[in-house]
Amino acid sequence: MLRLIDRQEVIRMARLARLELSEAEVEQYQADLTNFLTSGKKLQKVDVSAVEGTSHAVSITHELRKDEVGSSLPREEVLSAGPETVDGFFKVPRIVEEQE
Amino acid sequence: MRNLAHLLETRQVSSREIVKHYLGEIKQQEPDLNAFITVDDVGALAQADAADMRRSQGNPLSPWDGIPIAVKDNISTKGLKTTCASRFLSNYKPLFDASVVRSLRDAGMPILGKTNLDEFAMGSSTEYSAYGVARNPHDRTRVSGGSSGGSAAAVAAGEAPWSLGTDTGGSIRQPASFCGVVGLKPTYGWVSRYGVVALAPSLDQVGPMARTVEDAAILFSLLAGPDPKDATSADARNFEVPFWDDQFVKDLKIGVPEEFFGEGLHPDVEKAVRRSLRTLEGQGATLVPISLATNDYAIDTYLTLVTAEASSSLARYDGVRYGERVHAADSNTMFSKSRAAGFGPEVKRRIMLGTYVLSASHYEAYYEQAQRVRTLIKLDVLDAFKQVDVIITPTTPTTAFTIGAKRNPLEMYLSDLFTAMANLSGIPALSVPCGTDPKGLPIGLQIMGSHFREELLFKVGYVVERSAAR
Repeated sequence: MLRLIDRQEVIRMARLARLELSEAEVEQYQADLTNFLTSGKKLQKVDVSAVEGTSHAVSITHELRKDEVGSSLPREEVLSAGPETVDGFFKVPRIVEEQE
Repeated sequence: MRNLAHLLETRQVSSREIVKHYLGEIKQQEPDLNAFITVDDVGALAQADAADMRRSQGNPLSPWDGIPIAVKDNISTKGLKTTCASRFLSNYKPLFDASVVRSLRDAGMPILGKTNLDEFAMGSSTEYSAYGVARNPHDRTRVSGGSSGGSAAAVAAGEAPWSLGTDTGGSIRQPASFCGVVGLKPTYGWVSRYGVVALAPSLDQVGPMARTVEDAAILFSLLAGPDPKDATSADARNFEVPFWDDQFVKDLKIGVPEEFFGEGLHPDVEKAVRRSLRTLEGQGATLVPISLATNDYAIDTYLTLVTAEASSSLARYDGVRYGERVHAADSNTMFSKSRAAGFGPEVKRRIMLGTYVLSASHYEAYYEQAQRVRTLIKLDVLDAFKQVDVIITPTTPTTAFTIGAKRNPLEMYLSDLFTAMANLSGIPALSVPCGTDPKGLPIGLQIMGSHFREELLFKVGYVVERSAAR
């Protein structure tokens, strides 16, 4: 089958998305990405030179709210939802240098 | 619902009795329907008792005080598990209510439980739920549709009088059509998204699902309105339930887009929709053939944008502040392993596609291109409303399909062929049952209008509903 996307690219995307993939999944998503990009090809041919992009369908004006202190969720309750906490903080494993 | 409200008001029935009735239906039907992920018997009965107390003191919160509801499980309910049908959130209990849930509580409505969906609302059948498929009450070998399949099935099966769904590309309307209930995808921004777990924030909307058009309008009147907690909430007015007349039909111009009646449309569906159109015409409406040629791009545009936004929305699931964590020696490995274990295959697929279209080397060709095509689609739709008041199409190309029938993701994505356009252009769209096929499976008709024209959609829907019942 046609492979528009190479294996390395799939692995790179998975790393960007912080998703550990099995061998079978890499294979699967390589095929899915290829199918998706093939089916979406006609989109590339549409002439869009006359328009700007739409990020929100209904135009709205953002208004800033008043800068007032409101109530927040209690710290202990928020922390209780975390898998691991210590001394009022969420605890995570050691953070190593990024490889990218 | 007005009858139920009247019975409550005149104290002929108590909220506890109503809630017990629905809990009984749930208990009896759930083993093979699977419309709910979580049922909250204790909470619902306590809320019912509080409602009965208010009634006895002559202080009901609203005419609907004590009438229960089911809520899709991607809408935050304080203290009540909200899983999004994902393993990642299998034990997640929100610390706050979504604004729409707040509105239900302010009206005094007990929450029966949380309904099944495709994981993180990604899908058209609930087959991607980590908790099993929600079956179609009309034929339990078939899907209920998706992603709000549980909300549709619960209402159709009589497990709940009405429910909340969410719709990003058709997720309220398609299951409403498959299960034979009414469902509205409101104008983007008219209903708050605060506390609704994001799939694609520029497309997502919460909407009502109910047995009748009037019930859907009543529920919508409780949901619509501005919310300072949602930056995309429109500075729109509140919504009033319309007066149900049919005089307006004789001045009505209905657009019938040829692109929605072509290849791929099942003849049974076409027949039912055309019959409703003829009824409206018989009452004086004018049918105007129109073209919505950009619908040809709707699915691909939708997929590009929804996967891009989803990959970004789902970045928050990292196993740090909530959700399931897989332990590892360093944080990056912990993130990757937690996400790998927590997400199902469709969610991973969309994250991968979305990451690809957003990555630096492909952003312009895919994501930006899709955003611009979205503008063309929106202009095409808004242009049509210069000629006509509403546009009527089938909601879905076919009736409910069999569980397991669509194994190819691209085939599944085509379920949204007629519905994605409304999300891309932000317009409201209502699905109303308009008949059944020879197997007895419901057929839905979709009514689209321009921004904030929900009142007209309900009024047209009301006429369609009555003509289908005859």
